[in-house]
Amino acid sequence: MIAEELITDRGQSAGDEWVTVDAAQIYRALSSLKDEGYTVLVFLTCVDHLADPSREFPGRFELVYQLRDMDQLRDLRVRTFLDGESPEIESVHELFPPANWDERETYDMFGINFSGHPNLTRILMPDDWVGHPLRRDFPVGGEIVEFSEEHDTWNTAPEKA
Amino acid sequence: MDTQQKAQGMTITREQDHGAFGGQLLTVNFGPHHPSTHGVLRLVVDLDGEQIRSVRPVIGYLHTGIEKQAEALRWQQAVVVTDRHDYLSPPINNLAYALAVERLLGIDVPERAKVLRVIMSELTRLSSHLVWLGTSGIELGAMSVLMYCFRERDTILDMNEEISGFRMHTSYIRPGGVMADATPRFLDMLGKFIVEMPKRIDEYEDLLTANPIFRSRLIDVGILTAEQAKLLGATGPMLRGSGVNWDLRKNMPYSGYEGYDFEVALSDRCDCYGRYLVRIKEMRESVKILEQALNRLPDGPVNVDDRKILPPPREELETSMEAVIHHFKLFTEGYTVPPGDVYQAVESGRGENGCYISSDGTHKPRRVKFRAASFYNLQTVEPMSLGRMIADFIAIIGTADTVLGDVDR
Repeated sequence: MIAEELITDRGQSAGDEWVTVDAAQIYRALSSLKDEGYTVLVFLTCVDHLADPSREFPGRFELVYQLRDMDQLRDLRVRTFLDGESPEIESVHELFPPANWDERETYDMFGINFSGHPNLTRILMPDDWVGHPLRRDFPVGGEIVEFSEEHDTWNTAPEKA
Repeated sequence: MDTQQKAQGMTITREQDHGAFGGQLLTVNFGPHHPSTHGVLRLVVDLDGEQIRSVRPVIGYLHTGIEKQAEALRWQQAVVVTDRHDYLSPPINNLAYALAVERLLGIDVPERAKVLRVIMSELTRLSSHLVWLGTSGIELGAMSVLMYCFRERDTILDMNEEISGFRMHTSYIRPGGVMADATPRFLDMLGKFIVEMPKRIDEYEDLLTANPIFRSRLIDVGILTAEQAKLLGATGPMLRGSGVNWDLRKNMPYSGYEGYDFEVALSDRCDCYGRYLVRIKEMRESVKILEQALNRLPDGPVNVDDRKILPPPREELETSMEAVIHHFKLFTEGYTVPPGDVYQAVESGRGENGCYISSDGTHKPRRVKFRAASFYNLQTVEPMSLGRMIADFIAIIGTADTVLGDVDR
């Protein structure tokens, strides 16, 4: 199975199966997993592991693709890691049409560039917004509550975020 | 000049510059302020006369950043933002989040809590379908249906208020159990509701199902084949109205759903009328589940007995030092969840609403992603409306049953 060769790590988390693949191989991996029966992309998103105290990750941005095999009733989570200010990865919208809007949202919120996407523009934020809101160094904002624990964390960057 | 969007077996051709008789296409903007778009949805539509040549949904008008907000709140506080994305089914969203956190914590809630969760989920499904039926009805001109549906919905909201104090955004289902036990008055109201509701659904069907105007507006309108629906990631009645037998309560059950006897509503019609029949049937099945749940409601606690997660009862604070410490820790820092990630999906009125949580071992989530059913269902509006007329377009938006809070989060 092509998918087996491309998987660099695997495991289970809270009952969910996950595998890790190389970011450069994501299209081939998802394509061969789709051939294996995982025909539905439930969602795709990104997690920002900046200043994560619990574990070491191969990259700051973790892209998560949740695949589902509707016939065998099983889910699989495919994870891949990216780094850098403007990370790039191949778009998978041709394999899974729901990825079209999901990738736009991930670009909008995290700044991940999906190469080959037909229309990579902001989808949730206004078109002229600067910055990528769901990154951990983008402040939550809001009114500062004096003498509260959140006083510092909500408006400053990484180590406390 | 034709532009084609190809995605494995599905081609959407948009004729950009010319209409059928050589005339120009007219670009019309629907919304975001529009009574029929079910929220602040903007649809940019290219029209060739009356026929639709392309639909471009523009979303983001209701984006409130709840996913970011959830990262700033503690685990027990983040339940309140889950109420607010699919605002027509708050308990179901709460359930997705609560189940996800419980899986990460490795705890299981008591039986009574599971049954109460099922009761609240089914009441919410009914309430959500009632809104859909009322608003779809009024868009097609059936104005009385709105009033009848909202009358029943008000009964459900009264029940919500009785059990949680809130009519809509209940935050009732929380990690560890539920907010509070069902009061005797709630169970009484539920018993009466179970008897009344089937008759009300009969009333709605009397008004609509055989109504020639309703039928001619919906039959063969908004065709979405099973392949298209699966390809586009649609879930819920969008899938089941095209004949795909997929209901998370049956296929990937949670919270004890495997123990209830109900049918999955299916229709082979693939059109708006089929989806209408599916949702009506779902309402009837929800009442059946409610009746079974009410009959099997066991006695017992409604929360898991773990003082590291849920605060002790106030009386204990007078005598136990440990209780005071637990109370203090929980209400200042909050509990921590072991590192890991989890995805939990539940079946809402719209389809698969899921919660993906990534935990970094601290007292706040690192990432909470809400898999919104409406986000994907909205993408089916374009294939369903190409070539149709504007009047059909309104019916199609209604059948997609999107909630913009879910789409935009």
